[in-house]
Parts: sequence; structure tokens; C-alpha cells
Amino acid sequence: MSGHGNGQRMMGIVTTQGVVLEASSLPKMLARMVRTRRVMAPVKRGRTAFAFDWIDDPAEVALGYVRTVLPPKKAILPAHESILDFSLEPTQTAAPIIDDEPFVLFGVHPCDMSGITQLDWAFSRNVKDPHYLARREAATIVALDCMPDEYCFCTSVGTAGTRDGADLFLTPIGTGFMVDVLTAKGAALLEEAPALREPSAEELAEAEAWPEEKARCITRRIDGDIADLPDILERRYESDVWNSTAERCYSCGTCTIVCPTCFCFDVRDEVNLPLTGGSRGRHWDSCQFLDFALVAGPHNFRGKRGSRVRHRWLRKFEYLHREYGRPFCTGCGRCTQACTADISLTDVLNEIIAEVNVGVT
Amino acid sequence: MRSAPESTLEEPDQRLYVPEMARIVSAEDLTEFERLFEIRLPEGRDLEHVPGQFVQVSMFGFGEAPISLCSSPVKTGSFELCVRRAGGLTAALHGLGAGDMVGIRGPFGNGFPIDRMQGKDVVIVAGGIGMAPVRSLIQHILADRDSYGRMIVLHGAREPDLLLFTDEIESWGSDDRNEILLTVDKPVEGWDGHVGVITTLFPRLKIDSPSSLVVAMCGPPVMYRFVLLELRSLRIPEDQSFLSLERNMRCGVGKCGHCQVDHRYVCVDGPVFSAAELAHLHEGI
Repeated sequence: MSGHGNGQRMMGIVTTQGVVLEASSLPKMLARMVRTRRVMAPVKRGRTAFAFDWIDDPAEVALGYVRTVLPPKKAILPAHESILDFSLEPTQTAAPIIDDEPFVLFGVHPCDMSGITQLDWAFSRNVKDPHYLARREAATIVALDCMPDEYCFCTSVGTAGTRDGADLFLTPIGTGFMVDVLTAKGAALLEEAPALREPSAEELAEAEAWPEEKARCITRRIDGDIADLPDILERRYESDVWNSTAERCYSCGTCTIVCPTCFCFDVRDEVNLPLTGGSRGRHWDSCQFLDFALVAGPHNFRGKRGSRVRHRWLRKFEYLHREYGRPFCTGCGRCTQACTADISLTDVLNEIIAEVNVGVT
Repeated sequence: MRSAPESTLEEPDQRLYVPEMARIVSAEDLTEFERLFEIRLPEGRDLEHVPGQFVQVSMFGFGEAPISLCSSPVKTGSFELCVRRAGGLTAALHGLGAGDMVGIRGPFGNGFPIDRMQGKDVVIVAGGIGMAPVRSLIQHILADRDSYGRMIVLHGAREPDLLLFTDEIESWGSDDRNEILLTVDKPVEGWDGHVGVITTLFPRLKIDSPSSLVVAMCGPPVMYRFVLLELRSLRIPEDQSFLSLERNMRCGVGKCGHCQVDHRYVCVDGPVFSAAELAHLHEGI
């Protein structure tokens, strides 16, 4: 990953070093943005929770969050979206629904940025998904560096410094943010900032020190080299850990719903009230649900909870890992924090790794 | 580490998930549960499928489901689907007849490896509705009969009334290079044929040279488990037996995750796998 002050990456944009955006200028910048396009940013929900949501008023934006309940993937892959409209008139017709209206996704932490680049890969490889990619193209993404809590383990999966996929990258400094311009889109967005100034040497040093400081605060980790995980999981396919984890799991699907890299979906039709037409929607689905691998018969290919639990870990750390070249996980900690049964993603992985280390076969 | 979208040199197809509307030319009930549809795409365009591939069939308002092609690509101008009534969508499809429209996406998947069968004896094992996909293969072989050796078809069903394409089966047997073996699970009055699960037909197979033989099968997982044991005892190489896996494909293009079997996607990497490939898949059958 590139360091600070090294914003030149794409499209011939050259910034020799970052520029400073004062915190006091941010509301004005956001106000200008919301006038011209949709803006999704973190907002506070209740006493302790944060959520990404479409904003009208810059005052709603709450950048001092650790993690949102749902990741910002929902801006690009909504929980529910219509992918086509159909007519039920005698000559039935259908037309795709492509949402390519420009928007800004503001305040995305590096782990979630990594989640988006992982989904970019999933929806681009082999066959390109027009609905996802249209939204992705329409997005201008402003990333924001973060400070972790006890659930974060981004340093274990190599996502702590993710800048790929972002257009602007913000690092908090004393009076505001060090802004690195990563793309032409980012440069264009930054023109909406009212006042930018050159950073001082102290400010550059402060921004420079952020990643190390952040890494120091992380306490949760995967034991061992992540490159070994596919082989380890393959060897421990029959591990008792899957069943002991399943004994606690409720198959509620929360872990997959809050995951920034889960992208499985179901497809369902909805008909309008006069019954003249309707739309076909795709909806987030979960491999943890009992009917996920059910076919007529009925045959359920993952009818046992242990097989569904195992599938989740294997998909992220073995199957997709082998194809993508690294874990399909961002280290965001959402699944562990949100789990209704207190199951920890890293603890389960570490139990499996420990089995291999002590030579269990 | 890979990252970000590759340059969008190739634009995504905006109609990736949009079915093409096709007209039902004819429809008839084959059994209490199965209905056969002949379907014509606009301008009679051919699907250009391979036996063993499937299409996603839509009925707007009800949804979409994967259905195997049941006719050979040799048949032009239209194609056939044999639909078992199993859920809401398929029940609705059973209500359709000639002149009605359905949506079609595809064909998807890999299909049976026709090339591997040429010049070989072909054993086809079909359990119940599993006859539908292999009928496409059988028709393909019959249309180019001299390119193949013997063709032996084993077809089993719970009861005689559920055997599929029995009229055609009789005509297949008229060529002495073809052998047809039928069985039903339970004896029924009026049935004087073989009784027993499909593997009980195997002792009747006369196999001279297991290495010059290819097996294609389609049926429920339990059938595969027992047939694979038979094939092993007959010393038929695992890379010469092929089977079609059934899964709940929602998208057909390797995205939705429903048809994943270990690291493979049945809709893209299958539905046809060799027994050798299957041996490396925990979740296959």
C-alpha cells in the first residue's frame, strides 16, 4: 500500500503530498455534495449504534464511529433491489432496472473499502453483473482511516491500509483530515471543498504515524500465516470444531447479513396490485439458513447446522481465498460483535489452526 | 492481491438476468407429475445447447427455476423441457399450454462431454425425472448413431406409470445396437418387467471392456451413491462416468451462491461432473 503524501495512483492525477481539509470546512463540503447528488454517510442510530444512510443534512454525519451495523456495501448491493420490471399483459415484456445515478459514499473505513474491492472482484469475474457494476461505477468513495476496537482484526487479513477502490482517502489529524487524492473522480469531488491548505511538517508526520498507531491498538488476531488457511481448513474438514460451534449457533444469519463480503442472494418476484405487472427482486440471502441448499425432493445438501457453519468459514478462508488470493474477509469484526450466540470468527479459526499445530488428524 | 474492477473493456450485459420471452408450441402431461413442453424462441432461433445443459425458466409473478433441456440440439426451431411439479413455480407452469409464454435464460452449465463418448459404448442411467436431461443425450446419439458403439439405457421409476418417454423408449430399442432396461421399485399388477432399484439391473449389463465405455447418469443422490459402487466393481474408470447434480440455482451465472458444492458452482462448473471430480467434492451427493 502506498504511504501518505503519495496520492498519485491513477488517471494521471499527481499530488506530491496530501492536502489538509479542516474539520470546520467539512459541513460546507457535504452541503455542496448533497445539492448535486445522493450522499451516503455514517449517521448515529440510538445511543451507541451507527449506520450508513442517505443524508440530507451534513449535521447528521457522524464520522467518529468504529463500525456501522451494516457495512457500506448496501450502497452498491442493496439488501433488496429490483433487477427487472415485467408486464403481465398478454404480450409479456421485461426490462432491466439499472441504477447508475451518481452518488458519494462518504467515510468508509479501510476494512469496508477492502470489502467493496472484494465484491468488485466477485461481481466482475467470469460474468459481469450489470446491476452491481452500474452502481459501483456511479459511486465516488471517500475513505476515512479509523481507530480499532477489540473486535477488529484487519491487520491479520491484510486490509488495515486498504486504499484501493477509494477515490479520496482521509486520515484524521489534529484539526481535520489529511486528504490524499487517489483518482480523477476524487479530484473532482475535492473541488467541492471550500478551503484546502498545504499541510505542515507536523501534520504530515501525524498522518504518517496513524497506521502504526492503529496497528498497535489491535488485539484480536488470526494465529499464523493466512496463506496457510486454505490448506489448514481443507485438512480439518471433519473437525469437531464445526459441530461444537454449531451447537451454539442459531442459524439466524446475522453473521452473513452484517458481513461486508457476503454476496449470496435470492431472487423473488413481486406483482403489483392491479396484477398488470411487477418486478423481480434480488435480496440478500444467507448460507446459514436451513433452506439455502434445499432442492425439490426434498433434498437438503446442507441440512445439518454444522455443515452450514463450516461452509461459512470454508467459503471465506478456503474456497474464495484460493481463487481471490487472500481471505474473503475484511477483519471488520461485525460478525463476531453481532453474533447472537457469541461465536467469534477468529476464535473458531484459531481453534482449527491449533488442531493442526498440535497434530490432530 | 487482486483488486478493484478490471478496466471495463467489456461492458456487462444489461440483460444478464432478463429472460427472453418464448412461446409454448405444445404441452402434454407425461405422468401424474411431469409435463412436457415444446418451446419456441422468437424467430425460431436455436438455443444451441449441449445435452445436459439447463435453462432458467421464468413465469413472471411466480419466479424462475432451473430446468434441464430435454431435447437434443439436433432438433431445430424449438426445444423441449420436461417439468416435474414440485413447487409453486412448477405448479404454475403445469397450468400453461400451447400459445402461452414463458421466459427463458440460458443455456447454462457445461453439459455432457459428447466428445468423450464418440466411438465408445455409452451406458445411460436415469432415475425418475433424471430421464429428462439424458433424453437430450440419447436423441443426440440416435441422430448420429454410427459415431457411437452400443447404447444401453437403464431407466427406473417408483412405479410403471412414472417411467418417462415409454413410447420413445420402445422405438429406441428397435436398433439392435441399443439396449433398454427398465425397472420399477415396487411390483404393480400388470407390470411384467423388472422390479427393484436401478442397481438391480446391473447384473444384466454385459461389459466386455470397461475402458471403452462411458457412463452418463442422472437421478437422485441416493441413486448415485449405489450406482457409483456398481461402476467401481465393474472397474469402469472414474473419469469415464459422468453425473448431473441438482441444485437450487437462482442466478445461473455463478453469483448467487445457492448451487455451490465445495468450491465449485454447479451452474457454471457443472451440472455435469465426472465421478473422478465428484470424489474430491465433500458436498456432491
